[in-house]
Amino acid sequence: MSDVLILGEVKEGSLDLKTLELLGAGKKLAGELGGEFSLLLMGDSVSGMADEALPYGPAKVYKLEHHLLQGFKTDLWLACLEQACREINPKVLLMSHSFLGMELGPRLACRLNTRLTTDCIDLSIDPEDGLLLRTKPVSGGNAISVFKCPGEPQLATVRGKVFAAAESGDANGEIVDIKAKIDESMIKVESLEIVREEIVALDKADVVVSGGAGLGEEDGFELLEELREALSKSFANVMIGCSRVAVDKGWISSDHQVGLTGTMISPDIYVAVGISGAIQHLVGMVHAKKIIAINTDPGCNMFKVADYGVVEDYEEIIPALIEKLEELS
Amino acid sequence: MTEIRIIVCAKQIPDPEAPLSDVSVDAEKMEVIVDAPQVISPFDENALEVAVRLKEEAGGKISVLSLGKKVSDTVLRKTLAAGADELILLEDDNFENLDSHSTAAALAGAIRKIGDYDLVLTGRQAGDWDSGQVGLILGEMLALPCISLARDISIEDGNVLVKKNIPEGYERVKAQMPALITVSNEVGELRYISRTKMLKMMRGARSIPSWSAEDLGVTPEALQQMGITALSSPPDMGRDCELLEGSPDEQAEKLAEVFKTLR
Amino acid sequence: MTPHRVMFWQIGNVWIFYVLAGLATGLFLAGVVAYVSVWKKSSRSLEIPFSKEALKRMILDTFLGRRVLQGDVAAGLMHLLIFWGFLSLFIGTSLLAIHHYIFTFLEGTAHLIFSFGLEVGGLMLLAGVIWALIRRYLQRVPRLERRLEDAVVPLWLLLAALSGFILEGLRLAVERSPWGGWSFVGWCLSGFFSPAGAEGLYPYLWWGHALLCLGFIAVIPYTKLFHILGAPAGIYLQGASKPIVLGMEEGAGEFDLGDAIFFDGCMRCGRCVEACPSVGAGEPFAPRDFVQALRQALWQEHFPLGDIRFMSPKEESKVDENFWYCTTCRACLEICPVYGAAFEVVTKKRVLAVEEGTMVPKLLNQTLEKLFKYNNPWESSKRKRGAWADGLELIDLTKRGAEADLCYFVGCTTSFDDTAQMIARSFSKVLQTAGVNFGILGKKEPCCGDIARRVGELGLFEEQRKGSEELFDKYGITEVATSSPHCFHTFKNEYPEAPFRARHYTQVLRELMAEGKLRFKKGVEATVTYHDPCYLGRHNRIFDEPREIIRAIPGINLIEMTHYQADSLCCGGGGGRMWQDLQGEVKMSEVRIREAEATGAEILITACPLCLIMLEDARKAAGLKEPFRVMDLNELVLQAL
Repeated sequence: MSDVLILGEVKEGSLDLKTLELLGAGKKLAGELGGEFSLLLMGDSVSGMADEALPYGPAKVYKLEHHLLQGFKTDLWLACLEQACREINPKVLLMSHSFLGMELGPRLACRLNTRLTTDCIDLSIDPEDGLLLRTKPVSGGNAISVFKCPGEPQLATVRGKVFAAAESGDANGEIVDIKAKIDESMIKVESLEIVREEIVALDKADVVVSGGAGLGEEDGFELLEELREALSKSFANVMIGCSRVAVDKGWISSDHQVGLTGTMISPDIYVAVGISGAIQHLVGMVHAKKIIAINTDPGCNMFKVADYGVVEDYEEIIPALIEKLEELS
Repeated sequence: MTEIRIIVCAKQIPDPEAPLSDVSVDAEKMEVIVDAPQVISPFDENALEVAVRLKEEAGGKISVLSLGKKVSDTVLRKTLAAGADELILLEDDNFENLDSHSTAAALAGAIRKIGDYDLVLTGRQAGDWDSGQVGLILGEMLALPCISLARDISIEDGNVLVKKNIPEGYERVKAQMPALITVSNEVGELRYISRTKMLKMMRGARSIPSWSAEDLGVTPEALQQMGITALSSPPDMGRDCELLEGSPDEQAEKLAEVFKTLR
Repeated sequence: MTPHRVMFWQIGNVWIFYVLAGLATGLFLAGVVAYVSVWKKSSRSLEIPFSKEALKRMILDTFLGRRVLQGDVAAGLMHLLIFWGFLSLFIGTSLLAIHHYIFTFLEGTAHLIFSFGLEVGGLMLLAGVIWALIRRYLQRVPRLERRLEDAVVPLWLLLAALSGFILEGLRLAVERSPWGGWSFVGWCLSGFFSPAGAEGLYPYLWWGHALLCLGFIAVIPYTKLFHILGAPAGIYLQGASKPIVLGMEEGAGEFDLGDAIFFDGCMRCGRCVEACPSVGAGEPFAPRDFVQALRQALWQEHFPLGDIRFMSPKEESKVDENFWYCTTCRACLEICPVYGAAFEVVTKKRVLAVEEGTMVPKLLNQTLEKLFKYNNPWESSKRKRGAWADGLELIDLTKRGAEADLCYFVGCTTSFDDTAQMIARSFSKVLQTAGVNFGILGKKEPCCGDIARRVGELGLFEEQRKGSEELFDKYGITEVATSSPHCFHTFKNEYPEAPFRARHYTQVLRELMAEGKLRFKKGVEATVTYHDPCYLGRHNRIFDEPREIIRAIPGINLIEMTHYQADSLCCGGGGGRMWQDLQGEVKMSEVRIREAEATGAEILITACPLCLIMLEDARKAAGLKEPFRVMDLNELVLQAL
């Protein structure tokens, strides 16, 4: 058995960054439990990834391969995960707070009669009873709560970018095969078609670089686009936003608009460039975790809600910032 | 088209739109205090809207379930004004601060008691604890096909066709009814309920049934609370803007450092 | 031989004429009956109150063409020519019938005057119709449409008039009577015809003319010509019926008789299209099309055969959701010849849409929820409502024992919006300087209900009205000054039992000036222009007070924009538009800011928080920089004190 099991995810043929972070978290928790941590990989073909995972230090990499696991069919993946949990019998199971984690987590918790805490930003083991302490933001991020629940395995989905990714080292673990016991009759929800979309989903962005009237001209957004590209090297989902005035001026299309009449967002970082902060705009972004304001007017509203402010012409700051970001990355 | 019976689960929460300044945390009592009126959780309103549309198309009946220690029927009567046929409050002292699993168990009890249904709809997550679990657990408990994050729902020959959000776009899926679906905001806002309509619904002598844990056949031992061991304000609630000083170059340097720490 | 006219000269089988005349009258009457039946079925109330003023106005407007002349003299003269030409021919023909059947009087001098009069009438009609055609098809006046009906109707009149003259010419060519010269047009034409040919041609042309004229009468109810009856009826009813305060009662969104007659009296002159700021911004709403769509819908619903205007294409009934674009600026009513308040009809349609629920635009849906829960359309909290006054040490009238002569009602937008908060701070300082003992309602200040009323949420409006009245009553408030013309309008006109007097701040400032309490010590050397807010100017006729205040400031040079006073252009923020994400080709506010800029003024002054926000946003969007500024009147006044 493993004390801490991590459900791995694969992205574009290699281990997802979030999984590496989970391995980091798993190692920490295994240490607190005085046990070991392992990784579970599921899919139609995951052998390559299993090898890739070993250097990150798991005691075991469980490999559950089946041709029916091609594509993500929740019913089958859930059955496999349940089966794996019953066979491995971990004390703690961690999943990413991702689409996959949220599809499987609640239903798995029900099947195993345990309790899941979603979107955790911190995890530790209570030394008294060995249960998982799960820290999670609640009330739209206005409060932080720590939960402790009975049941086994102790189950949590973990927010991205809160744990440092595990570091690669010597590969001492072993790869263990689990034979999937699934068949097509288990599919209750039939997939008919997958439609891919290219959309400006501002509400899904991790970082939003937003411009307003203070840019002075349409070309200002070209500079913001350069900043966006520079930030994309360090952050996952960087997008361009704007204020209503910028849309009104025709500088940018309205699907980029943040605020009352645009999209309401709460990204990790919101960079407001040349936006004074009208109430219509503020209500749409004030829940961002960190707000950075760049504006020439020190009295403007944006500075009142910002964490960091730069009172300077954006045309001076941003090119310099892009340079510094390149140096850092 | 045959009529369909839909059960919508709607949760009453403090208005999640309330500004930061109206939210405070009582660490002692481990309570989040929101100085705002009670509303129906927004995603549950989306679920109700889609239910009403399905009913308008095919005919049928909509029952709304709302669970809590004390549920305000003035808030929940909005569902009747919007087109639901029946509102059942699930009220019991033991229903306070339930965890997702116990909430789902109580709801499952109520749904079994209703017995006859084609669809169970819930919001994708509640606007207060943002847990996103109750719907799917409920589906498991009732052994129904579960579809999450629906942005469009239609009915065809006893099957439900759903467009569900996936990271790449959306997936069209099909399941046999009865089924459980969690609804995302893309289905559209709940239609506007005018004050006149609302007042009419308030004045209506109609009594709203209230079922207790006992009525649902749920024993208090089967119900667990959320298990909060600590509650605190998020560290960065107050925004004191740190102005980065210096020449543009120095400012840029400091800003780059900020980005590095946030990475 | 005394001058006289031979009736039915050269015409056999006169009975056929009688049959045709009977038929035409029958068709005409059947049409009129159809209208009345539709009005009866479609209207909530059929009451026709008697009003001497309305009757007087109807007669004067109809016979002098005052409303048609207003704002477009050419159109007015053209209409007068057609109106009086047609009327004199109609009266002439009627007199002739009396002369023929009842008692003979058109002989001798009377006949000569009669003949001369008809010639003049015919010429007027001809001139008017030709002018109309020129305006529509050569000059191509933008507001005029060019549909089939628009060509058929004037051409019909043209042919009727021309054939009448030629007929006369033919007759005179044969008769050559010594008094023929009195029919001078016919006399001139008679020279072109040989008596023999004329005599042969005459009966054919006579029948043709008769058919044209009888047909014209028959077709009146089935074309836009119905305005001959509908317009006077509409003018009377708009004047006679009391302004309705839409209440929460059942059927508030339904039409009354005045509306139905207004729809049918509309002859699509397009003045409203020209005046409508929504049309000007390239938005898909136009009052005329809206009214016509409603007219068609009414007929579809209440008449078995549907719309009887056979030349009206059916494409218009798709205006359904576009009424959310209307800013209720009242510009359409200002120029409508039949005093049709399209914007009030818009509100009625909105009442129905709000009641139905699914057609309420998303943002408006959210705004209404917010209005209900927090009594303001901006923030999901009541807490910060009085925050703008921090540090000003104002009296809070809701505090125990607080009293003041004047209650300053700040309003939602002025309380919450950063740009607009300046109005409140400036006005407070101006009042303090003038030594006025005033207070505010602080956190407890409610929403006056303007937005709810304008977007058709009457239930919410009623609740807000009652709440406000109770609050004013509780704190013994009798004098109210508002920042917003919208609050002012709502209090003044839509609180029928208001226990207080509401004034807009411009009125208060003007009074303080007259009392000598407001003295401008400092000059402001600037050229300024003034934007009339719709709800201050057009809706409540306050045009002079703000201008008098501006002019009283030493050094100020006030110049006017192309559109000012009753003709002013809307900023685009009224009627609930501030809280809707609708878009046209351009913004109304941008059209306005360009007009302000074109005057060469450095400062655009306005007196409404919505106008201030919209115009300030437009100024930024248009990239207009210093020294050009948008300013509230209070700010300017404060600078000059």
